[in-house]
Amino acid sequence: MEVLKATIYPVLVMGGLAAIYALGLGIAARIFYVYVDPRIAEVEEFLGGANCGGCGYAGCSDCAAAIVEGKAPVNACVAVGPDKWEAVAKILGVSVEAGERQVAMIMCRGSKDKAKRKFQYMGIEDCRAAMLAGGGDKECQYGCLGLGTCVKNCPFGALSMGEDGLPKVDKDKCTGCGTCTRVCPRGIPKLVPVSLKIAVICSSHDTPPVVKKICEVGCQGCGLCKKACPEKAITIVDALSVVDPSKCTLCGKCFEKCPTGAIQQLLPA
Amino acid sequence: MEGSRVVKEFTKGLWKEIPPFRFVLGLCPALACSTAVRDGIGMGLCLTFVLVCSNVLISLLRKVIPSQVRIPCFIVVVATFVIIVELVTQAYFYPLYMALGIFIPLIVVNCIPLGRAEAFASKNTVIYSLADGLGMGLGYTCSLTVLAIFREIFGKGTFLYHHIMWSGFEPFAFLQKPPGAFVCLGLMLGIMNLIGSGEK
Amino acid sequence: MEQQVWTFSDYIMLVVSGVLVNNILLIRFLGNCPFLGVSKKMDTAVGMTFGVIFVLTCTGPITWFVEHYLLEKFDIVYLETLAFILTIAVFVQLVEMAIKKISPGLYRGLGIYLPLITTNCCILGTCFYNIRFKFGFIPTIVFSFASALGFGLALIIMAGIRERFHYARIPKCFQDTSIGLITAGLIGLSFFAFAGLAK
Repeated sequence: MEVLKATIYPVLVMGGLAAIYALGLGIAARIFYVYVDPRIAEVEEFLGGANCGGCGYAGCSDCAAAIVEGKAPVNACVAVGPDKWEAVAKILGVSVEAGERQVAMIMCRGSKDKAKRKFQYMGIEDCRAAMLAGGGDKECQYGCLGLGTCVKNCPFGALSMGEDGLPKVDKDKCTGCGTCTRVCPRGIPKLVPVSLKIAVICSSHDTPPVVKKICEVGCQGCGLCKKACPEKAITIVDALSVVDPSKCTLCGKCFEKCPTGAIQQLLPA
Repeated sequence: MEGSRVVKEFTKGLWKEIPPFRFVLGLCPALACSTAVRDGIGMGLCLTFVLVCSNVLISLLRKVIPSQVRIPCFIVVVATFVIIVELVTQAYFYPLYMALGIFIPLIVVNCIPLGRAEAFASKNTVIYSLADGLGMGLGYTCSLTVLAIFREIFGKGTFLYHHIMWSGFEPFAFLQKPPGAFVCLGLMLGIMNLIGSGEK
Repeated sequence: MEQQVWTFSDYIMLVVSGVLVNNILLIRFLGNCPFLGVSKKMDTAVGMTFGVIFVLTCTGPITWFVEHYLLEKFDIVYLETLAFILTIAVFVQLVEMAIKKISPGLYRGLGIYLPLITTNCCILGTCFYNIRFKFGFIPTIVFSFASALGFGLALIIMAGIRERFHYARIPKCFQDTSIGLITAGLIGLSFFAFAGLAK
């Protein structure tokens, strides 16, 4: 009898417990049933998958849900190309216009040998931390500090630190998500169309006498390029030269006049 | 069934994917049960038994268990073998049972049996699952033993509860305490990574 | 810790013991796997903490009921392991379903950690300790809550430190888990300062 009790009781009790739990979960599954639009999972397949936040949503799942609900446009994901936007549009039965792909560009040429430093910084290897130490160790308060915050935070591994202390962008890997522009304390990486042909690679708003002293390759704001341009494509805003690419014909007169080489041609003519 | 593959599955648990150093799983018992060599070997062997048995049973049942309830099923299978181990050690190895305490029943939530069930046993035949379980279990036992040797000899001055150090030796009691366990395991993990990267 | 009459100061001492003196994670070794996985960022650590506090404070008393009114009555206490883990798994599944329905925002924030909590040693371990220490019903609730709080405290301290590791120059072989374990040991060492404060 004891043996019977010892074998029957465990089976009955555990079986009973499991049955109650199974019943409870079954009922709960009915009560708490949530309708999940199957299109959300389908849309998510075509998004970047890196949770980079470039779309402005908390993650790829959030973005997919927003797109299906109509709160976000079909091309919300900046990390993927027009072909993926087409696929998303097809799932939802809408159409999409293709925009131009954007990539990041580091708007500074002040490498370790070309730009002066105020002091030797030996703290945390992060540009934001360096900014707390007396505004960074570079004389130029607009220039790239070269500690690699953008490199470390790029979700796609498109940035790498060069030997000269300036980050380098891999245009093939860059998706234009904009994470680097957000994390840089000085806003040096800028998103530009991939076919941009001419740019002033400097972020300095310092006046010519100041720039001459602290950086060999920075834009001084001297205005020689503006005077040389036959198409009036260049303006000087706050001692920094700005080129309007739509007017530029790549005649090359500004390159000749620039004393530091800050204005550069990006693509072959 | 190929003999070479069986050997491969067995040996990978002994070096290339040794828990807890390469496969960072099963840390709780590694820290708690390595204060003495006897406890380390004991815990390792208990885990090996549970791992091998549950791997085999789950591999046998893999076609029958529905996918939605597979995790609770795995847990029940592992729990059964854990209870068997618990009762056997309580009956025949009482000092070990008292030393390991709460960590024997905690094998049921140890990431290693569940992880291998999910990743391997539910997708492979019985022989390979057996080899995998045996390899991982013995690898775990070796890791625990090495850690325990270090902690016992320098932390207590004994080996298998016999005094082996010279009489004036002051044991480095830090190693016997919980923080010492963390630091010791962390350093050993670092050294294993160094050896591993040197191999590549 | 076997007492018949619990005064308020006993409960305070129980909380101090659970959170500081015998921290479930740093001193009792329970809950290490998620500890090293989740403590890389502060927001994941906070999410996991809330999840563990909720689950543990609820499952502690539930498993206490199962033990005292089911297993003991039928003299099958040796099936404790199986009964407890089943109860915890079912409870976590239930909570996950409820949160998914009631608050999708909360679900997306911390729902991903709920299934992970099932295999968290500290949940099952604390349920076992409730039985081993022969606590009554109220002390069970207090001890479960205190353990979860201790887990959360250690996790948040660790996350705060590990976020800085991103910018420190750590040798390649020590990165990730290795330095995490060493740091955990050093934090545990600092918790030793509380030894003797309570039983």
